[in-house]
Amino acid sequence: MSRTYVLRRGLQAIGTLLVIVTILFFLFRLGLPDPTVALVTEGLSPEDRAVIRERFGLDRPLFEQYVIYLGNIVRGEFGTSFYYKAPVAGVVWEKFANTMVLMLVAIVIAYLLGIPLGAYLAWKRGTRTDTVGIVLGLMFRSAPMFWTGMLAVLLFGVALGWLPTSGMRTLPYEAATFFHKVFTLDFLRHLIMPATIIALFYLGSPLLIMRNTMLEVYGEDFIEMARAKGLRERDVLYRHAARNALLPVITQLAVTIGLAAGGQVVVEVVFSWPGLGREILQAVRTSDFPLAQATFMLMAVLVITMNFLADLLYGALDPRVKLQ
Amino acid sequence: MRPRQRSRSRYLAQAFAPLRLIFHDRLATTGVVILGTVIVMALAAPWVATHDPRAIVERAEGSWMTWDEDAWRVQPAIGLEPLYDLAVRGGEAIAVGADGLAKRFDGRAWTALPRITEATLRAVAAGDTGAIAVGDGGVVAWYVDDEPRALRLGDADLHGVTLVDDGRSALIVGAGEAVWHLPLAALEAGETDLEPRTTRLASPVGRGLLLRAVATDADGSAIAVGERGLALTWSPDAAPGGAGSLALLTLPSFRDFNGLHVDPDGGRALIVGERGTLLRREGPDARWVEDPPPDTRALRGAWIGNDGRAWAVGRNGVALSFDGEAWQRDVTGTERHFWAVAEVAGRPLAIGSDPFVDKLAPPSAVHWFGTDHLGRDLFSQNVYGSRIALLVGFLGAALVVLIGANVGLFAGYFRGRTDTILMRIVDVMYGIPFEPFAMILVLLFDPSLLIVILAISLLSWRTVARLIRSQVLSLSERPFVKAARVAGASDLRILYLHIAPNVLPLVFLELAIILGASIIAEATLSFLGLGPPQSISWGGILHNARLSGAWRTAWWWNIPPGAFIMITVLAVFFISRALEVIANPRLRGR
Amino acid sequence: MNKSQPRRQAARWLVALVAAGLLWGAAQAQEPIPTIEILTTTESYDAIRYEGAFIIADAWRELGFDVVVRPQEFSTLLQRFYDEQDFDVTILGWSGRVERLDPQHFLATLDSRQAGLGANNPGGYANPAYDALFDLQSREFDADARRAYVQQMQELAAPDAPLVILFHRDEVVAYNATRWTDMVTMAGEGLYNEWTPLRATPLTNDRVLTIGSPQEPDNVNPLASTSVWGWKWMRMYYDKLVRLSPEVEPLPWAAETITAVDDVTIDVTLRAGMTFHDFTPVTAEDVKFSFEYPIANDYAYFRPFLSRIGRVEVTGPLSVRFHLTEPVASFITVTLSQIPILPMHIWSAIDNPADLNPDEIPTIGSGPFQFDRYDRGEYMRLTVYPMHFAADDIDIDAMEMIIFADSEGVFTAMQTGQIDMTAWRMEPGQIPLAEANADLVVVGVPDFGYFHMTWNLRRAPFDDVAVRRALTMATDRQRMVDVLLDGRGEVGSSVVAPVNAFWHNPFIERFDYDLEAARAALEAAGYTWNADGRIVAP
Repeated sequence: MSRTYVLRRGLQAIGTLLVIVTILFFLFRLGLPDPTVALVTEGLSPEDRAVIRERFGLDRPLFEQYVIYLGNIVRGEFGTSFYYKAPVAGVVWEKFANTMVLMLVAIVIAYLLGIPLGAYLAWKRGTRTDTVGIVLGLMFRSAPMFWTGMLAVLLFGVALGWLPTSGMRTLPYEAATFFHKVFTLDFLRHLIMPATIIALFYLGSPLLIMRNTMLEVYGEDFIEMARAKGLRERDVLYRHAARNALLPVITQLAVTIGLAAGGQVVVEVVFSWPGLGREILQAVRTSDFPLAQATFMLMAVLVITMNFLADLLYGALDPRVKLQ
Repeated sequence: MRPRQRSRSRYLAQAFAPLRLIFHDRLATTGVVILGTVIVMALAAPWVATHDPRAIVERAEGSWMTWDEDAWRVQPAIGLEPLYDLAVRGGEAIAVGADGLAKRFDGRAWTALPRITEATLRAVAAGDTGAIAVGDGGVVAWYVDDEPRALRLGDADLHGVTLVDDGRSALIVGAGEAVWHLPLAALEAGETDLEPRTTRLASPVGRGLLLRAVATDADGSAIAVGERGLALTWSPDAAPGGAGSLALLTLPSFRDFNGLHVDPDGGRALIVGERGTLLRREGPDARWVEDPPPDTRALRGAWIGNDGRAWAVGRNGVALSFDGEAWQRDVTGTERHFWAVAEVAGRPLAIGSDPFVDKLAPPSAVHWFGTDHLGRDLFSQNVYGSRIALLVGFLGAALVVLIGANVGLFAGYFRGRTDTILMRIVDVMYGIPFEPFAMILVLLFDPSLLIVILAISLLSWRTVARLIRSQVLSLSERPFVKAARVAGASDLRILYLHIAPNVLPLVFLELAIILGASIIAEATLSFLGLGPPQSISWGGILHNARLSGAWRTAWWWNIPPGAFIMITVLAVFFISRALEVIANPRLRGR
Repeated sequence: MNKSQPRRQAARWLVALVAAGLLWGAAQAQEPIPTIEILTTTESYDAIRYEGAFIIADAWRELGFDVVVRPQEFSTLLQRFYDEQDFDVTILGWSGRVERLDPQHFLATLDSRQAGLGANNPGGYANPAYDALFDLQSREFDADARRAYVQQMQELAAPDAPLVILFHRDEVVAYNATRWTDMVTMAGEGLYNEWTPLRATPLTNDRVLTIGSPQEPDNVNPLASTSVWGWKWMRMYYDKLVRLSPEVEPLPWAAETITAVDDVTIDVTLRAGMTFHDFTPVTAEDVKFSFEYPIANDYAYFRPFLSRIGRVEVTGPLSVRFHLTEPVASFITVTLSQIPILPMHIWSAIDNPADLNPDEIPTIGSGPFQFDRYDRGEYMRLTVYPMHFAADDIDIDAMEMIIFADSEGVFTAMQTGQIDMTAWRMEPGQIPLAEANADLVVVGVPDFGYFHMTWNLRRAPFDDVAVRRALTMATDRQRMVDVLLDGRGEVGSSVVAPVNAFWHNPFIERFDYDLEAARAALEAAGYTWNADGRIVAP
C-alpha cells in the first residue's frame, strides 16, 4: 500500500467532511426556525429577542456567519450552545463518552459472540442447528430495539425489579473523574440492559457474515489442500478457514464502530441514556445551531475515519486487494 | 425484431429465476407466506379491522355501584340507558334516566317501572302518594300505583324537582332560571298541560342562567343551585296556598353547581359542582364553607347524612367521602360517570353513566387486542399499521434501488469523470450517519409521508450504487458487451438491454434487504414521534403507548405491534437469503 | 334529409353547451369557503393538543367547512404563529406562572398594539375600547377600581370570540406522604413552588427534600438564563424584595416595608441584618445595583419587568426609592417579586456576565438556601443558609433535584421512593397508578395558564364575527376535557382563568357546544351551503 494512496484517501476524507459541514450549516440555518422564537412563550418582545439574536451573531449575513464558522472550526472552536450558554465542546464531549461506552460494550459483546457462533454454524451447515442459529440471529435483527428494550424494562425493571430502568447511575453520586463514574458496580447494573439489547440486535451481522464467508472460503483451493493433507475438520475450520474469513467481519466491525456515535437514539430514549443521539434531537428541536452542528460533525468525523480505516485495513490484510 | 424478443424473454427469465429459487428454500417459502399474509392484511384492512382505528369508543349504560364494607363496587349494569337521578323514600329508591327510564330499587334488586315517556328524565323526587320526575322538553312524569302518567310543563328542559309544603307541592327548576311551583293536586286534574295550574316564580337574578338542582331545607324552605355559582332560596308564603317567593343566596364560589342535598333532619347540606367544588353547611343556620377537594374533577351527585358524613360522586369515576373532618378520594377503578349518590337502607348507592370512554381495556371479545388510553381499538390499529409499514417499506426500497442501480450502472459503465463525480457523492453519503440524518430531515420539513420515505431512502442508495457499480465494471469487460458495442448498439441500449439484466439478481437482493431496513427505519422514526402524521403505524402505536405512561401495565398495547414488525422483517430477511444465493452462487450447495 | 340538419344539430349542441357553461360559471361564483388549516403541535410534543385538533376538525366538517389538521414541530409552530403570522387557526398555549396571576400579561394578548409580527397578539384582534381599558387598568393602583376595568375588558371581548380558550389543564403532581407533610401547592406552580422547601416537614430522619424533574435549568447564570426552570431553582438561593405567598398575596420578604409615595414613586426599606452567603451584608446599594445591572447588560428576560423603572435612588443604608416613568399597577406584585438581589461586590467586576462559562458563574445570593452543587443533566443541590431570617422556620437541611430524561423516569423514581416529589405534571396514564400507590398523595392543581385556539382575524372567513362565534359553538371543549384530560381540567371562557377568582369575570358570554345553534348562526349571517354540503360565504 503506497503512501500516496493513503494521502489521497485522507484528503478525500477531509473534502467529504467539508462538504458535509457545509451542507449541514446551510440546511440548519435555512431550514430551522429562529432559535429565539421559543422565548416568545417566556414573554419576550420582538425587541428583546433581537438583542439575543445579536448576541448569537445571527444578525450578520449568512455567508459571513459561514466564514466565521469555518474559521472557528479550523481553530478547534465549536462555539457556545445557544441553549446551555456553555461551550459546545464540553457538552458534546460528555454525551459522546456516554454513548461510546454503551455502544462499544455492546459491539464488543456482539462480535465476541457472533464470530465464533458464525464459524460454528458454517461448520454445522445444513443441519438443524444451522437453521435455528440463522433464524435466531435474523430474529434479533428483525425485532426493533425500542420494542425489545421496552419489553426488557417491563420484565426485568418493573415486574421483577432486578435492574434499574433508566439513566447511567443512581443519583446523587460522588465521582471525581469520568473513570470513577464508569467503573462502578452501579454503573454496570445500569449498563446491562441497554448493552444487551443493542448487542443482540448487532449479533446477527457478524454471525451471518462470518458464516457466509466461511462457506465461501471452504470452496477455496487452500482449504481443499489442507483437507487433502488430512487435517481434522475442526483444525481446518479454525486454523485455516476462520483466519481467512475474519477479514470482512473486521472491516464490518470498523464500519459499525464508525456509526456507533450516531448511535441508537431509540435505545437512549427507552433507557433514558444521556447520550449524543438524544442531544442532537434536542439541539435540532431548539434550533441550537452550534450544538447541532458540532454533534453532527463529530458523528461524521467518526464515520469517515472508521470507513477510511476499514479501507486501509482491507488493503493491509487482504493480499488479493491491490491498491493503486 | 428477433433480438428484442430474445432480450425480453431473457429479462423475464432473469426476473423469474429468483422466484423459483425462493420456493426451493423452506425458510424463504415461509417468508413469502408471511409477507403475503401481511400484504393481504394491509390491502384488506377495512374489512379485517373490527373498528375504526381512530374512533374513540364510548358506551353508555345504566351503571350503579354500592359501598360494600370499605370500598365502592361497580355492579353489573341494568340496561343501556344512563341513569341520572335517585330519590329515596323509606328503604326504597327510585332512579330515572334516559328515554324515560324509571326503576325501583329495594336495597338488593331493581324492578322496572312503566315507561311513560320517551324524553330523558333528569330528576326525581319521591313523596307519600307517588314519585315525580322531570326532564327534557318540559316533561313531568307522575308515578302513582294505579295510573302513572306523563304531563308537560312548558317546553324548556327541567333539571330539578323537590317536594315542598309538607309534600303537597313540587318545586321544579330548569333552564332559563325557571322555578315552577306545582301543587300536586294539579297532577290529578286530568289535563296534560300543567302550565295553567302552575306558578312560575320570578328570579331575583334574571340572567337566564341554568338551574340544575333543588332541595327542600329542614325548615320547609328550599334551595336551588345552578351554573356560575347561582343559588336561590325559596320561602313559602306565610298564608297557605301561595306559591312562595325567591331570594338570592350568596355562596363563596362562582363555579357551576351540579348537585345538592340537604339532610331533612339535621339541616346539614352539601352542594357539589365543577372542578371539585364542595360547599358544606353544618346546620340550618350555619355558614356555607368551601372545602378543599382531594380531586379537581367535576362532581355531580351529593349526599350528606345526619351525622355529618357525606358522599360526592362525579365524572370519570370520581367518588369522594367525608368522615366528618376531611374529604378523601375513594378508589372506584372505573371511568364511568356518576350522577347521583344516596344512602338506601343504610348503604351508599351511586348511579350513572352517560357515554364514557372504555379506555385501557384488556383484550376481550369486543376488543381483541384491548383498547388504548383514548379507548381506541388496538386490533384495528395494528391491522391498519401494516399499511404504512409496507407502503413506506416498498416505496422506500423501490426508490433506493431505482436511484442506486442507475447510479451504479452509469458510474460502472461510463467510468472516468462520471464515475469520479458519482462516487465522490457516494463518499459524502457514506460520511453521513443514517439515523440522525433521517431524524433531522423529518424535523426540517413539515412532517409528511413523503418526507419520511425520502428521509429513509436518501442515504440508503449509497450501498446499492457501490455494489452495482463494481459488478458493472466487470460485466462491461465481458465479450457480449464488447460484441454489442461492435454491432453499433447505443450506450443506453447496451446499459439497459445487455448489462442491466445481469445485475438483476443483485438488484432483487438489495431490494429485499432494503425493504426490511426501511420497515424498521419507519418504525423507528414513528417511535420517536417523527412518523407521518395522521397515520397509524406499528412504531406509532408503541410511541403512543410510551407517551401515555400506561405502557407499564397495558401489555396488550406493547406486545402486538413489535411482534408484527419482527415477523414482517423476518419474512423479508428469509426471502433475501434465498436471493443471496443467486447473486452470490458460491453460497449455493450449503 | 336536409343538408342543413346536421348544422342545426350542431348549433343546438352549441347553445346547450354555452348554457351549461353559464350555469357552471354561476355555480362557480358560489365558491365554497376555502380549506381551513389548523396548525397544532406534533403528537410527541403534546398528544392532547394534537388529538384536540382532530376533535375540532371533525365538528367543523359537520358544518360544511373543509378542514385539514397540520401538526408542526413546536418551534416551527411558534415561528409560523408569532413571527410570520402565517396561519388560519393555531392551537397553542400559555403556561400559568405566578407572575401571570396579575392579569396584565394575559390581557395584553388581545391588545391591538401587540398585533405586530413577533408580538403577543398574532390573531390580530383589534378593539379600541378594549385597548383604552387596558391602558386604564395598567395604570390603576387601586385594586378594586382596576378589577372593574379588568372585568369589563373580559365582558367586552367575549362576544367577539377573538380566540377560543380551549381549557385550563390541571397540573397533577404527587409526593410521598410517608416521608413528608405540610407540602404547599400553588396554582400554576404545583408542588415545586418556592414555599414547599420552606414549609415541608419531614416525617422521617431524612431531612433532605428530593425532587425529581424531567427538565433542568438552561443554566444558572442570573444574567443569561432564559428558561423558567433556571429561575425556579435560582429563586431559592437569590432573595427578592417581595415573595408571593401561597395564596398569591405579595408578602414583603427582603423588604421590611414598601410604601407607595405616589403612583410613580415607591419607597422600600430593607430588613436589617441580612447577609449574602459569603457573609457580606446586603445593602441598599446591592438593591439599586440589582435593578440596574440587568438592563445595563441587555438581559432581555427581565426587560418587561424593568423597562418602566426610571431610576433607583439610594435614600439610606437600607432604603431605596424607585422612580417609575409611568404608573405600573403590577410593580409590587410582579416586578418586586421577580428581580433577584445580586451581590454588587461580586458582579460589578464582571464585564460580560452573559458570556460566563458555567464554572465561572457566581452562585452567591442572600436567599434562604445556598448553592451547593450542580452536575449538568443529573443533579443539583442547595443547603439551608443558617444565617437567613427565615432559616429557623425551615424544617429541612437541604433540597436536591434529580434530573431525569423524561417523565417516565421521574414516575419510576416516584414509585420506588427514590424521590419525594415531582416537579412537573404526570402523564394521564401514570395518574391512576400513582393514586393506587398508598405511599403517594396525588394533587391536582388548577392552572391559570390556558390552551387556546387562535384564528387569524386578518383572513377570511375569520374576519366575520358570526363565523368565529359559530365555530366556537362547534368546538366541543367539554369533550376534550372529559376524554383527553380525563376530566382533569376546565373549559375556558376568558384569558383570565376562573381560578384567578379576583380578576376573573364569571358572567361573560360562554359558548357551549351546540352544532345546531352554530348552523343557525351561520344561516342568520347569510351563509349558504352548496350541493356538496360545503359552506358558501354570502
